[in-house]
Amino acid sequence: MAIHSKSYLQPEDYSKLADQFVPNSDKVLATSPYDSELGKNMARDARKVINGKLKIEDFHRVYSASLIKEFGDQYASGPTEPGRNSSTSAGTGPKWGMVIDLKKCVGCDTCTVSCKAENRTPPGMSYNVVLETIKGDYPNFSITNLPKPCMQCDNPPCVQVCPTRATYKMENGIVIIDNDRCIGCRYCMVACPYGSRSYDFGNSYEQEMVGYNDVTSPEYGIERGKRKKGAVPEETVRKCSFCYHRLQRGEEPACVETCIGDARYFGDMSDPNSVVSKLAASPRAFRLKEELGTKPRVVYLR
Amino acid sequence: MSTKANLANNMLTPEHKKRKLEKIYWISLFIVFGIGVYSIITGYFMQGMESTYLSNIVPWGGWIAFYIYFIGLSAGSFLLSTLVYGFGMEKFEKIGRAALLSAIVCMITGILFVFLDIGRPDHVMNAVIYWNVTSTMSWEIHFYIVYLILLVVELYFSMRNDLVKVAKSKNFKGKLSRFLIFNKQEYTDIDKGKDKKRLKIMGIIGIPLAIFGVHGGTGSIFAVLKAQPYLNSALFPLIFIISALVSGTALSIAIYVIKCKVKKQQADHSMIRSLGSMLALFIGIEIIMVWYEFLVGFYGLEHEEIGTLQLIMGSPYSWSFWIFQMGFALLFPLILLVIKKTRESINWILGASVMVLIGVVGVRFNMVIPTLIMPKIDGMPYGNYYMNLSEWLTSFGVIAMCLILYTIGEKLFPIDELDSHEKGVSKHE
Ligand code: SF4
Ligand code: SF4
Repeated sequence: MAIHSKSYLQPEDYSKLADQFVPNSDKVLATSPYDSELGKNMARDARKVINGKLKIEDFHRVYSASLIKEFGDQYASGPTEPGRNSSTSAGTGPKWGMVIDLKKCVGCDTCTVSCKAENRTPPGMSYNVVLETIKGDYPNFSITNLPKPCMQCDNPPCVQVCPTRATYKMENGIVIIDNDRCIGCRYCMVACPYGSRSYDFGNSYEQEMVGYNDVTSPEYGIERGKRKKGAVPEETVRKCSFCYHRLQRGEEPACVETCIGDARYFGDMSDPNSVVSKLAASPRAFRLKEELGTKPRVVYLR
Repeated sequence: MSTKANLANNMLTPEHKKRKLEKIYWISLFIVFGIGVYSIITGYFMQGMESTYLSNIVPWGGWIAFYIYFIGLSAGSFLLSTLVYGFGMEKFEKIGRAALLSAIVCMITGILFVFLDIGRPDHVMNAVIYWNVTSTMSWEIHFYIVYLILLVVELYFSMRNDLVKVAKSKNFKGKLSRFLIFNKQEYTDIDKGKDKKRLKIMGIIGIPLAIFGVHGGTGSIFAVLKAQPYLNSALFPLIFIISALVSGTALSIAIYVIKCKVKKQQADHSMIRSLGSMLALFIGIEIIMVWYEFLVGFYGLEHEEIGTLQLIMGSPYSWSFWIFQMGFALLFPLILLVIKKTRESINWILGASVMVLIGVVGVRFNMVIPTLIMPKIDGMPYGNYYMNLSEWLTSFGVIAMCLILYTIGEKLFPIDELDSHEKGVSKHE
């Protein structure tokens, strides 16, 4: 009735409306085996953390005791948790990582193609490749397909050597290149043990593909518009960014999304409960050229 | 009649010939330089790196090799000049300033080569502004600047006494000299003492700068790359320094002897001979180092390193190792400098030096390219690189520029000691 009698809705009307189709939170929470009050208090304080009124450390200090009481062994988060890798404890956001299951990879190169399409890399450049090695002779031989993006090393040699700090490690684990600063000296290419970096020689598919030059991939979230001769990122170094621009919109990297064998997993390595963390802890896990100490964030499953 | 004419002709010949030779020298240099400039414009500026045969697998090529070649020449000749100015070995005084001048010119040439190799010249100042303390290359860029300034200042003070003398003449050279010495009228003994002290200090500062900063540093640009096991050894910067000494000494010998020949002056035999034996010593040390570098490399059983060594020694590229690196840069000159008959002769010493200068180019190429050709991970393709026409033309152009700069320097400044030979003064006027 009220709806028809007034030309516009009052705030109370909204809450009334909402009450009808949003389930009562108390009732819902009561069905959970865990403490409802704790949950509500945490939700309230979490909002304070987001607003900046409460420090995340304090938040954890207040709640970790009751959380451990409530969840026991399953509770596994918070900055002071022991046994954590020190390199990931700075900052609190996700630390992206990738796991590639070599047993599931069929070597179809879908990742390579989707990466090229997503990042619009010019001819001769591919952020992702699938390396095929054949061991043994027919009929006793095996083929290994090794998909190889940038490893986003935690100790990246490329970052060590860049004379301009144009390439650096972000808090979320991704190694980025600031193409507006890069001078194109290619020192990082020589320094990368995985051959992950490519130089943009300024080539284009415009001959074969109409409209190729119309847009540059928004790498690292930067819109650059048309691909123009001599404009950044031409004549600078480029590489896989774990599709940072897609992550920003909450999407997985293109190669992960399109993998037909579901061989690629992507997620937050700093969360010990994430799929990637669990897979990375498996005895099948290994990293490329581990002995170099570069600590790649891309983990392979044998 | 005819005999008279002949006589006149004969009398004209030496001076005439010299003029003609000089003309040919200048014209050919400027032609090569012009072609180089043309290819820099059409290649580097209009097409960018696309004008080279570089690829994503071999991102560094001939220009980087030439860059370390010239940096080596510079550091080597500078270290040689410190014998005179830092340690007061008067014996080598005649080559002191020439060594400094060639150090400056080679430094400029080297920097130009590496500048050409940079993809975005418009961003290049970033390398000076944003200093990455963990980057050897960043340190190098700053060291090069300091080093170049030091070289120029040192050269200035080393020839100040002669500048004062030259300033008395009326021609352009005199004017330039007057300007450079701020119209100083007299060069007193006090000045001389002061300058000597200054030179000594600069020479001594310069030694660590040249060794750690410039050449050892350039070596460590390569040696720190764990991605390239062939380069990643602590011996590598040392090999860089010693081969800088080899090439720098050879350059100084070659410049001195050729200059004496052109000017028809009496060359200082004993100095050349002792320079020759120094060259032999340096080559000996280099052979020792290279031997252990390869020995340890092979015993390391590291797939990539052995692969690189195989590429160097037994691939279609291996001629550059056997003929240039082993032959011209090490063994041939060493033999020439050891055998009694040849080590006494100026011409043979000159020959050995020129061989070294050519051979070290091969050494530098072998440092840069084979290790990049070797794939970093199984399954990646081998690289394929050789310099294309545009790269060669550009390189020759830049080298011609180096010679032009050096010769202009020789012409404008009193690079030879004015009172070291009686006829010298008249030659300069
Ligand atoms: S894989 Fe190469 S480019 Fe990627 S972070 Fe590691 S060193 Fe840098
Ligand atoms: S090419 Fe660019 S990113 Fe790479 S080292 Fe040079 S300046 Fe840094």
